[in-house]
Amino acid sequence: MGLSVDAATGLPILNAGADAGAIPLPRVGDLERTAAKAGAITTTIEKVIQWGRYSSLWPALFGLACCAIEMMATGAARYDMSRFGCEVFRASPRQADLMIVAGRVSQKMGPVLRQIYDQMPEPKWVISMGACASSGGMFNNYAIIQGVDKVVPVDVYLPGCPPRPEGLLDAVLKLQTKIAAERPSSLRG
Amino acid sequence: MAVLPPLGGPALPTRDPQSDAYDRGRDLLGVETANDAIDIVQLDDDTMELNMGPQHPSTHGVLRLVLQLDGEVVRECRPDIGFLHTGFEKSFESHTWQQCIPFTDRMDYLAPLFNNLGFSLAAERLLGVEVPLRAQYLRVIMCELTRVASHFLWYGTSALDLGATTPFVYAWREREKLLDINELVSGVRMHTSFIRVGGLLADVPDEFYALVNEVVRTFPSFIDEYELLITKNPIWLERTRGLGVLTPDDALAYGATGPTLRGSGIPYDLRKAQPYSSYDHFDFDIPIGSHGDVYDRYLVRMREARESLRIIGQAMANLPDGPVNTSNRKVALPPRNEINTSMESLIHHFKLVTEGFRVPHGQVYQAIESPRGELGFYIVSDGGNRPYRCKVRAPSFSNLSALPHMVHDELIADVVAVIGSIDIVLGDVDR
Amino acid sequence: MTTTAAPTASARPSRGRRAADLLAREMPEALLRTHDEYGEVTVYLHADHLVRALTLLRDDGDAMYTLPLFVTAVDWPDREPAQPRFDIVYQLRSLQHNDECRVIVQVTEDAPQVPTLERVFAGMDWHERETFDLFGIDFVGHHDLHRILLPEDWVGHPLRKDYVSFGEPVAFTHNLEWALPAAERPRDMPGTSR
Repeated sequence: MGLSVDAATGLPILNAGADAGAIPLPRVGDLERTAAKAGAITTTIEKVIQWGRYSSLWPALFGLACCAIEMMATGAARYDMSRFGCEVFRASPRQADLMIVAGRVSQKMGPVLRQIYDQMPEPKWVISMGACASSGGMFNNYAIIQGVDKVVPVDVYLPGCPPRPEGLLDAVLKLQTKIAAERPSSLRG
Repeated sequence: MAVLPPLGGPALPTRDPQSDAYDRGRDLLGVETANDAIDIVQLDDDTMELNMGPQHPSTHGVLRLVLQLDGEVVRECRPDIGFLHTGFEKSFESHTWQQCIPFTDRMDYLAPLFNNLGFSLAAERLLGVEVPLRAQYLRVIMCELTRVASHFLWYGTSALDLGATTPFVYAWREREKLLDINELVSGVRMHTSFIRVGGLLADVPDEFYALVNEVVRTFPSFIDEYELLITKNPIWLERTRGLGVLTPDDALAYGATGPTLRGSGIPYDLRKAQPYSSYDHFDFDIPIGSHGDVYDRYLVRMREARESLRIIGQAMANLPDGPVNTSNRKVALPPRNEINTSMESLIHHFKLVTEGFRVPHGQVYQAIESPRGELGFYIVSDGGNRPYRCKVRAPSFSNLSALPHMVHDELIADVVAVIGSIDIVLGDVDR
Repeated sequence: MTTTAAPTASARPSRGRRAADLLAREMPEALLRTHDEYGEVTVYLHADHLVRALTLLRDDGDAMYTLPLFVTAVDWPDREPAQPRFDIVYQLRSLQHNDECRVIVQVTEDAPQVPTLERVFAGMDWHERETFDLFGIDFVGHHDLHRILLPEDWVGHPLRKDYVSFGEPVAFTHNLEWALPAAERPRDMPGTSR
């Protein structure tokens, strides 16, 4: 396991490493075992919040170009994103907490993208899907913003042109691991 | 149900950008600077301006429509495009001919092979290169598979626009099988760059034949299944028949092509009219509609997918043996074993990889029939190793320019159905 | 099935020959020259007669070029100073005669103007706006000529050859200074904001 302990707080941290995607288990000690015998489960508020956040990510529909097609493929029959609790694509940014920037971001689209990001409620995360969104990709020209991280903060960069659906699923799992390792008090907002 | 206004608007949508009402809406919206996702402004004269997009699930990409509404009826529709403008035509000018191929993939990303083919054919005409027959047949097979995939995707998404979720999942189930074939021949699912100037990336592997024959055998029954879902579905009929009518004359005036033109009853298909890549070797029909409405365009696409499967079947049955690249060593890379033994081949290889081939001076316009219509490449060469100018005649661009005409005096809820029916790809519109 | 190559286009007359013949017959004053290569005829027209000539090509029974394919421009900044810098290219298709033709009008850098054709072909509207956007060609009389692909506040016309295009330099070993933050880069480095 990539579990380590935060020296300052003594809380477990799950590292997004070789076993990324693994769900952090509550540390079980004598107290917990005793409580479990009595039919109670003990945990911390923070862990429950984290669990709620990473288990049901609601992506905003933000398909731009080719990657959007692979994003749709990820949500469709064969790859079925709902296995990871991430299939509820919302048309309204107000109902979403994950933005999958799927495709190249043009200079004209940049302000729109930022506005939609601003409309999403906190906490929110961004996956930059594909080479174009991550770095401008092959389009190093006047029209394309060279990486969406110039416009919004990005949590997971996903390479590929376009990335395969498995890649997007991996990015979601990586993000879930990352969210699980965040402390709610240290979250943005 | 609201009473539908009479079908078919005036010849041209009346726009008056100078009118006060229009300007007020523009100022209130801050159209020039801010781009809110959806915003509604009540104007003085009982019309309302609704801003749809550019981030909207039913616009098939980042398309923005400014709709002037009178109640629920669209009085004016002004598309705002360019949100996916990628500067392809500028990028072409700074890359060698062969390097342009991966760019073309990403233009119309639902039919990447057609873009490859159009560019390759144009360059080959300038070069005077003849492509072996096997390569021509394989190009046809791969393109028609892509056409089927594109029409399936269209079927799924435009049904989804009208609230039918099931077709989407069904269509993707089959599309994945076609993407598997892409992956088999090229290693990637979507942007294969399989068709190159002078031939193909490589010959197909042995597993290819069984997979494609399986597609030809089984897919007609899948299309039956799709049609069973919505062709006679009362809701689908209500929402698509008599809607978004484009008369043959209007279709021509707007430069509409592909299923949008054929849905209006004009049997024009470049595969028949100006056969390229051996399309004249195959027997197939051109389906046309009779009313030019959304429903006819749907029927045309479904029939086209069946015809594509017929073409693939014939091409597979008659697939000749032989090389898949031109023997002109100044264009196509020499095979590996030749490089090891021939100094000349090594030099060719080196020249092709480092600076690419040079293309004679001149200009050509090469058009092919993509799933969306006439996809043309107008290429000007100054004799260098890069295109001097490459203009892409994108079918979606012209088809979309007819949208204001088609949705004029229709209900707002039907706008998404009409957008879906012209099958635009914003990568193709904005380039 | 024999393995013969596909019939080549050379068997039929060049595309656009029909348009060139018609214009030579009906409007010789408009026709500057014709050029036949790669099986396609290019007709060079005088800008003053453009609208009338294309209306003729649309309506005449021998032509019937009713389908507008595209309008674009080609920038030739390296031509002699007295020569026109821009080629405005019109491509039309005739379904009835299964033909297509290309009409080119040349305009100078000082006065990049041609009359609009949107009243002849409704489909030319957007193509003219695109050409205005990317090349800065003024289509005189167009009802709504403003940028279509780029934002309204964009400066310059990117498809002109003198428009520097690249977005951001890529740092390789030979130009590592690009990897520096913008403030620390050498002042004399070439580059552009776009």
